[in-house]
Amino acid sequence: MIQRALIVVLVIVVALFTYPGAMLVSFATRITPPPTSSRAPAGALSWLHVEHPSRAIPYIADDEGRMVFLHGATPASLLEFGPRNQPEYPIDPAAYENGGCPANKAESKYPPLCQADVSQMARLGFNVMRLPISWSLLEPERGRFNRTYVDRVAQIVGWARDQGMYVIVDMHQNAYSNFVGPGPNVDLGQYSGAPAWATFTDGLPSHVFVSQREVNPAVLEATTNFWYDRNGIQDEYLAALAYVAKRFRNDPVVAGYGVYNEPLIGWNLPPGFEDLLLFPFYRRAIDAITGAHDGLPCWSGFFMPAVCGYRNLGADDARHLIFLDTGLLREVTDFPTHLSMPLSSYPNLVLALHAYTHFYTVDHLLPQLVTSSAYPWGGYDQSYSLAEHEARAMGAALFVSEFGSPPADDSRLLASQVVEQEKHRAGFAFWTWKENGSGAWGVYAPPKSPTDSSGCLRANREQLLARVYPRATADTGVSFRYDSSDGSFSLSAAGHVGDAPTVVYVPPEASGDVTVTGAAATVIDDGEDGSRVITASPTGGAFGVQVAPATLALTGCQ
Amino acid sequence: MRDRGATRALVLGLLSLWFGIVAPFAIFSAVRSLQRIRTSNGELQGAASATTGLVAAFIAVAVIVAGVTYWIVAS
Repeated sequence: MIQRALIVVLVIVVALFTYPGAMLVSFATRITPPPTSSRAPAGALSWLHVEHPSRAIPYIADDEGRMVFLHGATPASLLEFGPRNQPEYPIDPAAYENGGCPANKAESKYPPLCQADVSQMARLGFNVMRLPISWSLLEPERGRFNRTYVDRVAQIVGWARDQGMYVIVDMHQNAYSNFVGPGPNVDLGQYSGAPAWATFTDGLPSHVFVSQREVNPAVLEATTNFWYDRNGIQDEYLAALAYVAKRFRNDPVVAGYGVYNEPLIGWNLPPGFEDLLLFPFYRRAIDAITGAHDGLPCWSGFFMPAVCGYRNLGADDARHLIFLDTGLLREVTDFPTHLSMPLSSYPNLVLALHAYTHFYTVDHLLPQLVTSSAYPWGGYDQSYSLAEHEARAMGAALFVSEFGSPPADDSRLLASQVVEQEKHRAGFAFWTWKENGSGAWGVYAPPKSPTDSSGCLRANREQLLARVYPRATADTGVSFRYDSSDGSFSLSAAGHVGDAPTVVYVPPEASGDVTVTGAAATVIDDGEDGSRVITASPTGGAFGVQVAPATLALTGCQ
Repeated sequence: MRDRGATRALVLGLLSLWFGIVAPFAIFSAVRSLQRIRTSNGELQGAASATTGLVAAFIAVAVIVAGVTYWIVAS
């Protein structure tokens, strides 16, 4: 009898620690009231949130409930890389005041991020910047946060405010940490993330296999130790995230936070990694920032199973968007590697897709296994169509927080990606803004002289990324298409009298005549840089905005 | 004497709570084991383990069905 009772207890405990428990907690979030927050203080920009229409994919919206489209890039200058293991450029904001900018370092992977960069982004029509930061710089010693580093982030947020641009503060990592140690084929200049005190490799060798920085025993071990909260390092990570959230709690210019860039599976297997480790970790991060109280009250400091929630760490930030990267394996497969269960009662969630079809997908990484003509089966659309299903099931909006490619592949890879983003009405943050060295992926070419901060604007990228697009519209059924070959644009929408206006941005590259049909009031403003902003207020029924084809006014170099 | 299939069913049943794909094997092992135990006239033991494995596997199947149903309905 005792033996039977023990077996029953064993089954219940195992079930709680695995999928049955994870699923119960996930579905419980559907009936849990969302966390409340005090009224948002007015700011320079509209507060963003996620709208949840019935029978449709959630979307990012502004204060007026309009669907908002975000276009932008990702400057990576605030990251710490190995083997120097120190900031690439000064982190004291004083070094950048009054338009100042430290000299570029040829040995650094990225040029410094200065005020002029933010102006250049705005000039391309970007209204968001994804700003990666390193945990190793944020918390160089356990429990001691670097206030100067956050001051530097605040400085950049201030520059963005001046340009009417949002910032996504992204807790970044590449192959877990720059402290995994040197070894065969290991280029620590490609590694960033966790501080040394949070990097437990357990003596496994740092050795890169199959030319992929992540396929490194030391990286896989250290990553696994993070997911299992070895020595409470996951708790420290959540505390660091909450420290940043406290700083920007009342600032609408910060669109939100990226919790963890490109989560690596470690020694785990899908879909258990995503469903039992990664997404429960995300839920705890949301609990810590917003005070959502999803999941069960649990211990902290060592492994927390999927059912565990997390305590409110005092940020009480129930307003910002939370960007959740899919697992790195999803990026390689363009296919969901998790069950897409409900995640949290917190409504402002964004599924952050990394779209690298035919570059970081399995057909390119292992061409001997599968060819590009054979996979992905659904072409570029596969990743986006499936991501829409994932986002909807999770109750999240969809955003492409990374995509990019070598410049030589722009006409194939980049052109295809932007078409898909438009088709699926997903905003984007291009990887990367500026980059040094040969093979750089930046919007700008690498500098020809080491002292220059960058080379010229790449004309191909200007053509594809400086797009005519609706920045906000009240019609969730809006459809639009920009032709980057001739600058023509067409938007079809519908609305009622009194609906908030649809706002369309036209970069200076698209110089064709603008026509607005079916909207009673239209205002066309010429920006100082030659850009135009069209405000179309519906009068009832269908309306449209068109930009006629014209020779593109490209300013970049060929 | 203990039926070896009973232990296999228990292990597979518990594993199926992590890896649902194992559930059909757990159910197969458990049913076969229970049949052998029932027809052994008391010579074979392990019915509790086999039953536990069976229950765990059915829980796993229920979770899979719920997950797939949710995906179809919600997405």
